[in-house]
Amino acid sequence: MRGVDPAFDSADEWTAVSPRLATARRLVIALVSVPLAGLVVLAFLVGRDATIPSAMAWAALGLWVLGIGWSWWLVGRRVRSFGYCERGDDLLVRSGIMFRRLVIVPYGRMQLVDVRAGPIDRWLGITSVQLHTAAATTDAAIPGLTPEVAAALRDRLARQGEQRSAGL
Amino acid sequence: MDSPVGDDLGLGIRLPDIGRVNSRGHRAVHPITPVIHGLSVIPFAIFLTIGIAGSLVGSLGIAALVVGVGGALVAGVIATGYQYLAWRALEFWFDEDGDLRVDSGVLTRAQRRLQLSRLQSIDVSQPFIARLFSMAAVTVEVAGSGDSRVELRYLSLGDARALRSEALARAAGLHHDTVEAPEQPVMRVAPRDLALSLLLRTNTVTLLGATVLILVVSWQAEGFAGIGLALVTGGLPVAIVITEFIKYFDFTVAESPDGLRLRFGMTKTQTRTVPPGRIQAIEIVEPLLWRRMGWVRLRVNIAGVADDPKEETLLAPVASLKGAEALIARVLPGVDLAALRWTTAPSQARWRSPVQWRSLAASSDDNVVATRSGRITRRRAFVPHPRTQSVRVTQGPWERALRLATVHVDSTPGPVAIAALHLAAHDARALADAQAARAGRARTIDTTIRWARPEDQRPAGN
Repeated sequence: MRGVDPAFDSADEWTAVSPRLATARRLVIALVSVPLAGLVVLAFLVGRDATIPSAMAWAALGLWVLGIGWSWWLVGRRVRSFGYCERGDDLLVRSGIMFRRLVIVPYGRMQLVDVRAGPIDRWLGITSVQLHTAAATTDAAIPGLTPEVAAALRDRLARQGEQRSAGL
Repeated sequence: MDSPVGDDLGLGIRLPDIGRVNSRGHRAVHPITPVIHGLSVIPFAIFLTIGIAGSLVGSLGIAALVVGVGGALVAGVIATGYQYLAWRALEFWFDEDGDLRVDSGVLTRAQRRLQLSRLQSIDVSQPFIARLFSMAAVTVEVAGSGDSRVELRYLSLGDARALRSEALARAAGLHHDTVEAPEQPVMRVAPRDLALSLLLRTNTVTLLGATVLILVVSWQAEGFAGIGLALVTGGLPVAIVITEFIKYFDFTVAESPDGLRLRFGMTKTQTRTVPPGRIQAIEIVEPLLWRRMGWVRLRVNIAGVADDPKEETLLAPVASLKGAEALIARVLPGVDLAALRWTTAPSQARWRSPVQWRSLAASSDDNVVATRSGRITRRRAFVPHPRTQSVRVTQGPWERALRLATVHVDSTPGPVAIAALHLAAHDARALADAQAARAGRARTIDTTIRWARPEDQRPAGN
């Protein structure tokens, strides 16, 4: 399906992000849902003979587990949807499955390049690179790069930007 | 040539220009400044203190009034005292690099440096109380994220205009003693047109219509439940019309080699100078009920100015279409709106936007990229290629099913958002790629950074 979309595909060579990004995002899901699951089980044990009909409670629990499973699976596809491509004069970043997005930033327009990593990211050895232009709506973030790749990309972008930049 | 904001709009008291310079050659604002700040506090303080005094004394009699006014005067004196310290602490000057430096702050000292090569606009404004003394505030905006402006309050009008022309000359790359550029009037909005146009805006008419409907229904039903709602739906548009009428009263556009001079305001008069090439994006808005009159509104993005999110930066609150096109021709030279060849959205776009799909289109020529949208209120937006920051293609599930995609051209923050909605997917991608390439190329030949360097100095009044 990806291969036939005229709006987002081209002959350009896309670089994917590290699959460790999926691990990081799943870890976040786990960190939120495991304690929550504990609370739910506790509620079940305490409220056994309470007012909630057990069939409904089971159905809700089932849906909840299904939801987590779905987002678990979706994370993989989402992470695979991220890609970037350095062309001669601009950088392309694409992402999204349901709502797809492709951002093209001419090198001369970059005002600064952010490289950042949160605690989970650092533990897994990934960082994200974000480009800023004078427009607040430019949303060009590439998450899930290994630190070496991120640093090299940042330096290349800075070099490209320096050669081409002008005032606003 | 004297401008309205150069004439004595003061309501009586005239004070001499001072141009005070201290031992380091730094300038100060006018010594009357603390008094103006102190006076500005009093009307607000009176309301507050009368309320407090009323609740203390127990009734809103003469005693409360006296205590209240007295309290307000004390507040005014305290404010004046503090502002005196602030006045002593404030100094500004042009440094050896030609940048504007401002040191200020009583408790927290702040030192600002504004790079004038990145100047975006200069405003000279006269708030009501400052007008009593013929004083004006000068606001300097440079490009940059966050707080990239300084406001110098207050200078006499003569000093304010001298500072403006000096900053503009330095930004243009001319010698700073260059006399202020002459200007030619371009357009003036008649108060009657402004009032009528504000009344005929789609929102105003809809809300007023709803009010009438509510009143009729509640009269028929002989109930009063609708009255409160009618007060809101009727009061809101009236308040907006009055506010905008006062704000944009006597809107005048003039042109000088320094750029466009915009002047407007009834109680608070403002003069905004936008140097050439600083308009980042421009939009022609045509509400349904304006079309009979052939009227349009021109909105613009100017870097820095829209950091104030309440501000809808306008080039004209209302203008004839011809006048608007002439204005656009001045700020975006070489753009011929009639010659643009539009790529329209395909017919399947009707399933995504049933009302406006026939209007949706995008276009570009050697100078600008343009988008068109809206059925009830028609909108056309333009971004010059050197001002394109980045390009985005987006596609939601519904668009994907119809093989459509939307192209956004990112501009600096402001009222104008440029999106070519629901184009055929391959058209969208082609536009995005072409626009990114044009933006990159245009950037390298953009000459408007120092727009009047002697080698390419423009003839005055051009």
